[in-house]
Amino acid sequence: MNKGLIIAAVLALAPTFAAAESFQDAFEMNRAMYGKDHVFTWQGKQYTTQHEEEAEAAVKATKANAEALLDKAKAKNAEVAELGYEWKLTRGLLKEAQTAIDEGDYQKALNLAAQAKYHARMGIQQYHYAQANWHLAVPQ
Amino acid sequence: MMKIIRKLALGLTVAAATQMTYAADTGFDMQTVDPEADRIALQKYYKSRFPNTELADYVNGIYSVDADSREQWVELEEFPPYEFDVEQGEELFNTAFANGKGYADCFENGGIGIRHKYPYWNKEEGTVKTLEQEINECRVKNGEEALKWSKGPIAQISAYMAWTSRDKVFDIQIPEDDPRAKAAYLEGKKFFYSKRGQLNLSCANCHLQGSNIRIRADLPGPQLGHVTHFPVFRSKWGELGTLHRRYSGCHRDSRSHPLKPQAEEFRNLEYFQSYMSNGLVANGPGARK
Repeated sequence: MNKGLIIAAVLALAPTFAAAESFQDAFEMNRAMYGKDHVFTWQGKQYTTQHEEEAEAAVKATKANAEALLDKAKAKNAEVAELGYEWKLTRGLLKEAQTAIDEGDYQKALNLAAQAKYHARMGIQQYHYAQANWHLAVPQ
Repeated sequence: MMKIIRKLALGLTVAAATQMTYAADTGFDMQTVDPEADRIALQKYYKSRFPNTELADYVNGIYSVDADSREQWVELEEFPPYEFDVEQGEELFNTAFANGKGYADCFENGGIGIRHKYPYWNKEEGTVKTLEQEINECRVKNGEEALKWSKGPIAQISAYMAWTSRDKVFDIQIPEDDPRAKAAYLEGKKFFYSKRGQLNLSCANCHLQGSNIRIRADLPGPQLGHVTHFPVFRSKWGELGTLHRRYSGCHRDSRSHPLKPQAEEFRNLEYFQSYMSNGLVANGPGARK
């Protein structure tokens, strides 16, 4: 291949390679390969594969903490519902978390609220992805 | 040096042209969306995917592209499972309301042979109107209670009205003098192609790219002609159901919190899908797995 075409190809593909190195991709690859609590390096810094909700649930299992996380999960789910991207199981998880609080099982409540918040956060992410990419599936 | 610059320019032009081709022609916003280009592109897509299927046959859904399923369906159609529902629908349609009026008083041509004109853009109300929606509006206007949306009497009345419209050609209009109509179409199109739910699936994943590709034991039908045969008697349901019942079911199957039948999003989706079926005939009610 001649030099001009090689340079053009590199220029055209550069954004693709840059995108392949995004934090999100690095996080997801490491999470898929090693599960949670794995330490990985991205752009010279160290990160763990813990989702933010897992960190939020890793607090002392008290009523106040459980209620606070449940409130955050409810707010996040209201946000995704407003966008029209609410997931099917989230409301059930929120209800179960409330039941766990009522029964005094605060660790269970924290875990369920964290799961619900994760669903909502992923739904929001999905909405933004769809806004930017839905057109790629349309036949031309 | 000039030689390298010329080749570099050529290379960049090729790269840019590839990007532009990818960026498409059918339009993704209010300035560029072109429903007719969408319809033609969809037909072209299916012509390429299933070259042996005649365009007119897409009204038969999965049976237009899968020979084994078609064989079973042809046998099923000898004693159509929706037959009694059409009869019941006719009886309901012709039963007068308490005020002495009936469905025939609410619709053009007495409600006979009009299914293929739905959904349509209602300029006064600024929204897409579906047949089932107007069946219920007719009831409420005449002092009757609205029917439940998904199945039962509303599906039977709709089935009878579809039956009287068989072989009439869909010609859904998107009035150019009201940009809100095109916006509704665009919203429907966007809904169809957007991934959603915990399973991250769009309508298109199953009913465009996934047409005739197994999802466990099911073969999803093609998007082209998707709405022409509704309402349908679905073997899985063991009864008749409306298009919006199916929409809710699909939405739930993607693990989304499902919208209710006749939600604006679903009506816009129906508008888009029905426009895609322009030129095909109404053949409802249908029988499906």
